[in-house]
Amino acid sequence: MRPTTLVRLALAGTRTDTARVALTALSALLAALAGLAALTVLAIPTPAATDENPNRWSEQYHNALLVEPGLRGGTAFALLMLMIPVLALAGQCARLGAPARDRRLAALRLAGATPGQVTRLVVLETGVAALLGTLVGLGAYLVGRDLLHRPDARGQLALPTDVLPSTGALVGVVLGLPVVAALATALMVRTVTTSPLGVSRKAARERGPGPWAGLLIGFGVASFAVIRPVVHRFDDSEELAWLVPLLFAVGALAAMIGVVTGTGWISYHCGRLLRRHARRAPALLAAGRLMADPWAGSRTFAALLAALIFGGAAAAQRAYFATKDQLEREQSRLAGVDGGANPFYLSTMDLVDGAVAVAILIATGGLIVALVEGIVARRRAYAALVATGVPRAALSRSVAWQALAPAVPAILLALTVGTLLGRGLVAEVSTGVSSTAICEATAALCDDPATREQYTRIVHTPEMRRAVPVPLEHLAWLGAGALAAVLVTVGVGLLFLRASTALDELRTA
Amino acid sequence: MGEVSTPHVLLGLLAGGSRHGYELKRAHDERLPRARPLAFGQVYATLGRLERDGLVATAGQDRVAGPDRTAYALTDQGRDTLDQWLSTVEPPMPYVASTLFAKVVVALLVADVDRARSYLIAQRAAHTARLRELTAVKTDPSATLSDVVAADFAIAHLDADLRWLHATLGRVADWHREVHP
Amino acid sequence: MTQLQARGVVRAYGPTPALRGVTLDLAEGEIVAVTGPSGCGKSTLLHCLAGILRPDAGEVTWRGHRIDTWSEAARSRLRRTEFGVLFQFGQLVAELTAAENVALPLLLAGTGRREARTAAFTWLERFGVAEVADVRPGEMSGGQQQRCATARALVTEPRVLFADEPTGALDTLTGEQVLTQLVRLAREQRTAVVLVTHEPRIAAYADREIVLRDGLVDHTGLGLDVPLAGGAR
Repeated sequence: MRPTTLVRLALAGTRTDTARVALTALSALLAALAGLAALTVLAIPTPAATDENPNRWSEQYHNALLVEPGLRGGTAFALLMLMIPVLALAGQCARLGAPARDRRLAALRLAGATPGQVTRLVVLETGVAALLGTLVGLGAYLVGRDLLHRPDARGQLALPTDVLPSTGALVGVVLGLPVVAALATALMVRTVTTSPLGVSRKAARERGPGPWAGLLIGFGVASFAVIRPVVHRFDDSEELAWLVPLLFAVGALAAMIGVVTGTGWISYHCGRLLRRHARRAPALLAAGRLMADPWAGSRTFAALLAALIFGGAAAAQRAYFATKDQLEREQSRLAGVDGGANPFYLSTMDLVDGAVAVAILIATGGLIVALVEGIVARRRAYAALVATGVPRAALSRSVAWQALAPAVPAILLALTVGTLLGRGLVAEVSTGVSSTAICEATAALCDDPATREQYTRIVHTPEMRRAVPVPLEHLAWLGAGALAAVLVTVGVGLLFLRASTALDELRTA
Repeated sequence: MGEVSTPHVLLGLLAGGSRHGYELKRAHDERLPRARPLAFGQVYATLGRLERDGLVATAGQDRVAGPDRTAYALTDQGRDTLDQWLSTVEPPMPYVASTLFAKVVVALLVADVDRARSYLIAQRAAHTARLRELTAVKTDPSATLSDVVAADFAIAHLDADLRWLHATLGRVADWHREVHP
Repeated sequence: MTQLQARGVVRAYGPTPALRGVTLDLAEGEIVAVTGPSGCGKSTLLHCLAGILRPDAGEVTWRGHRIDTWSEAARSRLRRTEFGVLFQFGQLVAELTAAENVALPLLLAGTGRREARTAAFTWLERFGVAEVADVRPGEMSGGQQQRCATARALVTEPRVLFADEPTGALDTLTGEQVLTQLVRLAREQRTAVVLVTHEPRIAAYADREIVLRDGLVDHTGLGLDVPLAGGAR
């Protein structure tokens, strides 16, 4: 196949294909930005320890997350975590118009194209789109760091606009992401490329997904709960230092997969309940769809649920810091001093919460794409129903049922699991016995080493323990936000439903 | 549609046992519901020829009482002849021999395109009407399977004719140019 | 008695005219075939008659009321209560079982769940597909799907059934069986049928035939009383 033919065939698509390409480019752009930001944070050099700077802080920045070398790794990790919803978004975009594309590819196969040629076609489309996205992302990054390079009065920077990742790292992001995207797409179209008849008739799923997702969630929560005892027990053991990060990563992954696959179980059983008790057509239609493809819910909500687990854990963490700060203040008050609230950790948590909000926003984008895709793919069926006199309002209600019935329990589950993970790490705050020397006199007397001794007394404060409260209000806000995201999605979906039930669809038999 | 071989049909009807002439006629009209009905004279003339060739024999001795009182039975030779007929494939349309076709050709030869076209249109209307009539027989709730199968036979042929009429209507002008260069 | 009327119906898709002024009357319980070559406007006429599409010009009246000026919601209600619609394929909801599909129009009309299910079974039985009542369309044969779709179109005992190439995707025998059953039941409950087809054999199930060509009525076949020579054009 000549390159020109390849390009001509790759461009032979509909508006949906154009939308898919544009969205693929957009998600590649976002992923590139997140990756570049993480790399930039990692590129900040750690200065050598000096007398003025024993902690090797990078004093040129405002933000503690950038200043302290110990926190920078976590910051970069959080930025990379932002790529999860972005990648989920990319996955949703790849499904946009996929049935039509699969048919087109199957037609090409029937016309004599080899599996390799068809795969090359798809890989070309995704790869080029993603490359465009990462290139624009790189441009935006380079322009952005120039525009945002504004030292304040003290010469400090808000963002690390003074460093640049190595050229190799930049090239890695710009070229690596498209390659990964292209490979993932090649994997997704393998059914089409192997058979010219496209996807075969699917056998019915008689049994829904099993409840084994519960096991994964349990495992995840349990591994978080043992992290603290493990840390206590093997505090000094060098050999077991790897155990904590492993427990952390495996536990988080297990819980996340558990919640996402658990949504399949929830979808299926919501569908079953609805089917048994539905009195009206919209609920029955929704029930049929939920049961026929319970994994649609998992796919659709994956990014949102991941963001919510993260958010739930962060909420628990924030509650811990708040309690800790309060306890420390009380302790110092007992000692007779009030240092005021220490905003350091809470302001760090503000950043984490911001990241959660961004993740939810991106996940909403993915949600919209997935829902619209589902509606557009069924447009002929919808148009046929409208032709037989099914009111559009009934179809709208069925779409709302279909989205909300599994979403509400899934959101609750994700928040619960997130909170459990967070509380597994830190459910209690304690301060040890402390003693403080306090000088009770005027500053002049205290500063004089001769007189200080007689005015100073040692204050002992007892050990204090306090349970971290469950941050119900914070969780409620997260849940409300997620629900609002789903509602917005349903709203957008209904707009597309109107267009998809235009009866001209009946003509494209 | 070719001619029905009445002798073979009568042999077939006798395969189940001996029958009188009038019974044969009734059975014929019942089993072949949409065929042209047999006349009594034709039944007896055919039976006479079959008896002469040794394919059937009189079964009753009541010969004197007249032909309608006589029962006929299949002979072994008759059974062989029937077997042979049943195992022979009919030649599939060896000649395009249809009045319909011939009439359009002649109309084009002796008259103009319009004459041929109006004949085709009229014929199409007649065919359509007959098709509808036979379809009504078929959809009648009291129709037996024999009725349905017989009607279907005619419907399929009418349908083929109609397709041909339709296609020819679209080609008649070009065809005329070919006939009268 | 005429119940559905089209007067000079015009409809175009963009610059392409599909109907250029079609007039047609449909009496109660009458079966009318609309035929003609591909692209002659058959389906568009059916969609206009059924109130699925609005004509660009001309009128469509149902029992004396102009329905082409009605809102989409009102026409939806009319289609749900008085009309039945049947297509070549693909109108069953893939995720619902046959019985649920057939019960759907009744549920939409507010019939109780149990009652709707009973009626669905009765209709599936009438079309000889009771055995697939709990099976989803993807697991049925084409013939079974079309029988279910026909059962769904008739379950509300509509006044008019609009059928667009209902046997187009079926083999000859299955197509004939579906159509024979459809016509018998339609006659039984005096449902009028508008049957769009390009096959003369299918059109012959109708009481009369309307032949379209390039968006206009080319000629009508009125059964046996058509003059046998000349002039039919």
